[in-house]
Amino acid sequence: MSLNYLVIRLAQILPTFFLIMVIVFVLVHLLPGDPTSALLGIRATDEAVNRINEQLGLNRPIPVQFLFFLRNFFQGDLGDSIVLKVSVTSLIISRLPVTLFLTAFAAILAVLLAVPMAMLAALRRDSAVDGAIRTGFQIGLSMPVFYIGIVLLTFFAARLRWFPVGGFGTTFGEDLYHLFLPALTLAFSLSAVLMRNLRNGIIEVLNAEYVDFARAKGLRNRLVLGRHVLRNALIATVALFGLNIGTLLGGAVITESVFAIPGVGRLMIDSIYGRDYPVIQGLTLTLAILVSLVFLVTDLVQAFLDPRIARR
Amino acid sequence: MTALAQTAVASEVQPLLAVRDLRVVFGQGERALTAVDGIDFEVAPGEVLGIAGESGSGKSVTLRAILRLVHPPGHVSGRVLWRGRDLLTIPEAELRRVRGGQIGVIFQEPMTALNPVLTVGMQIRENLREHTTLDAAGRKARAIELLDHVGIPAAKSRIEDYPHQFSGGMRQRAMIAIALASSPKLLLADEPTTALDVTIQDQILKLILRLRRELAMSVVLVTHDLGVIAQTCDRLAVMYAGQVVETGPVTEIFRRPRHAYTLGLLNSVPRAGVMRQPLASIPGQPPLLSNLPQGCAFAPRCRFVIDACRQARPPLVAVETAHKSACIRHETVAAA
Amino acid sequence: MTAAALPPGILGQRRIRRMGRGRKSLYIGIAIMLVMLVCAFFPEFVAPYDPLAFDYNAIMHPPSLAHPFGTDNFGRDVLSRVIWATRIDMQIAIFCTLFPLFFGTLVGAIVGYRSGWLEAVFGRLVDLTITFPFLVIVIAIVAVLGPGLLNMYIAVSAVGWVFYAQLMRADVQVQRQSEYVAAAKVLGYGEARIIFRHLLPNAITPIIVYWMTDMALDILLGSSLGYLGLGAQPPTAEWGVIIADGKNFMSTAWWISVFPGIAIVLAGVGFSLVGDGIADIFRRRR
Repeated sequence: MSLNYLVIRLAQILPTFFLIMVIVFVLVHLLPGDPTSALLGIRATDEAVNRINEQLGLNRPIPVQFLFFLRNFFQGDLGDSIVLKVSVTSLIISRLPVTLFLTAFAAILAVLLAVPMAMLAALRRDSAVDGAIRTGFQIGLSMPVFYIGIVLLTFFAARLRWFPVGGFGTTFGEDLYHLFLPALTLAFSLSAVLMRNLRNGIIEVLNAEYVDFARAKGLRNRLVLGRHVLRNALIATVALFGLNIGTLLGGAVITESVFAIPGVGRLMIDSIYGRDYPVIQGLTLTLAILVSLVFLVTDLVQAFLDPRIARR
Repeated sequence: MTALAQTAVASEVQPLLAVRDLRVVFGQGERALTAVDGIDFEVAPGEVLGIAGESGSGKSVTLRAILRLVHPPGHVSGRVLWRGRDLLTIPEAELRRVRGGQIGVIFQEPMTALNPVLTVGMQIRENLREHTTLDAAGRKARAIELLDHVGIPAAKSRIEDYPHQFSGGMRQRAMIAIALASSPKLLLADEPTTALDVTIQDQILKLILRLRRELAMSVVLVTHDLGVIAQTCDRLAVMYAGQVVETGPVTEIFRRPRHAYTLGLLNSVPRAGVMRQPLASIPGQPPLLSNLPQGCAFAPRCRFVIDACRQARPPLVAVETAHKSACIRHETVAAA
Repeated sequence: MTAAALPPGILGQRRIRRMGRGRKSLYIGIAIMLVMLVCAFFPEFVAPYDPLAFDYNAIMHPPSLAHPFGTDNFGRDVLSRVIWATRIDMQIAIFCTLFPLFFGTLVGAIVGYRSGWLEAVFGRLVDLTITFPFLVIVIAIVAVLGPGLLNMYIAVSAVGWVFYAQLMRADVQVQRQSEYVAAAKVLGYGEARIIFRHLLPNAITPIIVYWMTDMALDILLGSSLGYLGLGAQPPTAEWGVIIADGKNFMSTAWWISVFPGIAIVLAGVGFSLVGDGIADIFRRRR
């Protein structure tokens, strides 16, 4: 995969980022609901509202506001939280790593669950094992994340006391321990989606002529499955993985609520209850950019796996 | 016929490969499809055996059956004797040694037979790793050597290229290099030139013959193209509806076919230099593999047919030295 | 190719035709859907108790013959609450998908039929929407509009139509090249007529299949928002809301939260099975 391709893909991201900024800005500023009045409540006299608006620069024409917004963004200034009185940026910086950790952990667990199960199901296609695996994952897919969360929480944490009931640790090891159940919760639906797709991919590849050719060379079955079958089947599934990272982040929002984890997900929910618009705006922006980046990385991984892409 | 093959026949040297009563059936019961219906043939050391027949005659399935590459619901029975051992019953570990190490296979379409995400070099080295004791550096050197040997220019840089970066003819050469990396004694070639245009076809056939000489190996060449057979093969087995209907030296069969089907096949090849004759074809269709007739499979379309033909399946018998036919009326056919 | 040619792909592929099995799952799916619809339309006849009735004599009773799903902390019968909640969740499934279905299909058909700048802009929009976490956008919109079912419908509809449009566009783009469209054009049919009478009916089946899975997903979404307090508001019985009500009692009265969850799973499975079944039939017809 050439450096050229990498640069081109990075450049393609920029208009997307710009579009994201515009949309987030529009969302918060042009939809009904005046934040200042809502904030001041009964003390919302005209002059009080005006004063606050002046402070926040909300009296200027919209395009000017947008320019301020852009300028501030590039300076790392996303405004201040109305409720918590600290800069949004600092809030995000303190909370984001937790969410990222959780999401990454969940992604890894999902892959660890999905790949072996998919291989097993594909190799024993249409057998009882295959049926059991598919049904099991289908049920997992139909369960809402919060439901899985509270069931796991109640059973493994409260009842069996194998894991702590939420929160976050101080060392890396403690973090893994605290976040295992939440990560597992998140991983369920993603692994179901991945498993289904990979299983179909493997079944298709098993019928390909190059698998026969590899066998005809006298290669061991394990080698054929690992190098020839899995690698080809994974290509399509990697694409699916990337597309679903967004869903994973969405699920993180709920999971953090269930397990009381100090990440950006909970911050989002709390900000919504508290009508803390700067935080909502800043978070949405950050998440959007993050997701675009993940999407980009997925593309690059795909190009790495499949040399037919990115040949310019 | 090559001198080697002649000697083999004359002194009845143990054949390299002997297929006995090979049967491949797909499915079961009512709807079973018999793709290969109990065939026998042999390959002597160093000879090129052609297997000719139209699509659906079972020739490709035969090749796959030899190395146990038939997927379920296909069921293979019979015996495939390779150097005295029955390939259909030996344990998996031993079969793996035979595959690639002693018997090589090439398929019709290199674009689907080669793994698109692995480099050609890697696919060669895999073969070497399994069947030779070369170390990593040795494997790499040998891979370059092989690519060069099959006629791919700039082999050293091509080693790290992917299949889609090769042109059609070059891809086929690469596939040959991969299959022959461990110098097998028998090459099974399933329509190796069908997907190529005529000029490349010629080059590939010449390459196969050259390699046959250099590696002292035998070749089983499956094709529907009689021209290819004429150009490369020593002996020929003609298949129809899953059965072998005639075997013998190529020159002899072409000069005087002893089976009605072979006669029809040869007649249907357009001749150069003849003025304005309508194309001759064999009327009718081959039988459905799920519903083979009781007698000779070709009887419904045969112009020499008599009642006896329909009653029982004619066995493959010798009609001359080293020439067998499964036609009751072979004398009449020979006279035609 | 002669008639004796081996069935396509037999040299390497398995032919699996499990007709009976596919049919069975479709029937199960339809059965589940019927049960849900009956509960949604006639809860008064199905539910044994009044869902709002407090019974201080029967607080937090485990499942029994009198109360198959147990009772909650107010003595309300959980089974009845779950049955009554079916109406709300079915509503969620329908209302979250109606606008996206119609609007999205229409836009997709038009964009797919024409090319040019419209398509480029649309493409970007689709990329963005599909990759961005759907839940987060919906929550963000609900944040601005305020919690409640109606606002949730607006939020979901505002973003959800893009998926239908994308599906439709892809299909139309493929069909656009086909011969019957060329024939229609040659006959002088207007664009609208080609889109509505010819392209749409052909592309509709995958849309319907997607609609089924979308409804299942929206029930998950709706119940998630209900759980978070951003969707249906208590005392409205909605499965997610009931689960939220019971989450504090998980150790002592697990049945309050567990049974509505099972209802959600059942609804999701029902929709999926029906969707898969339709997809199967469609594939066989081809």
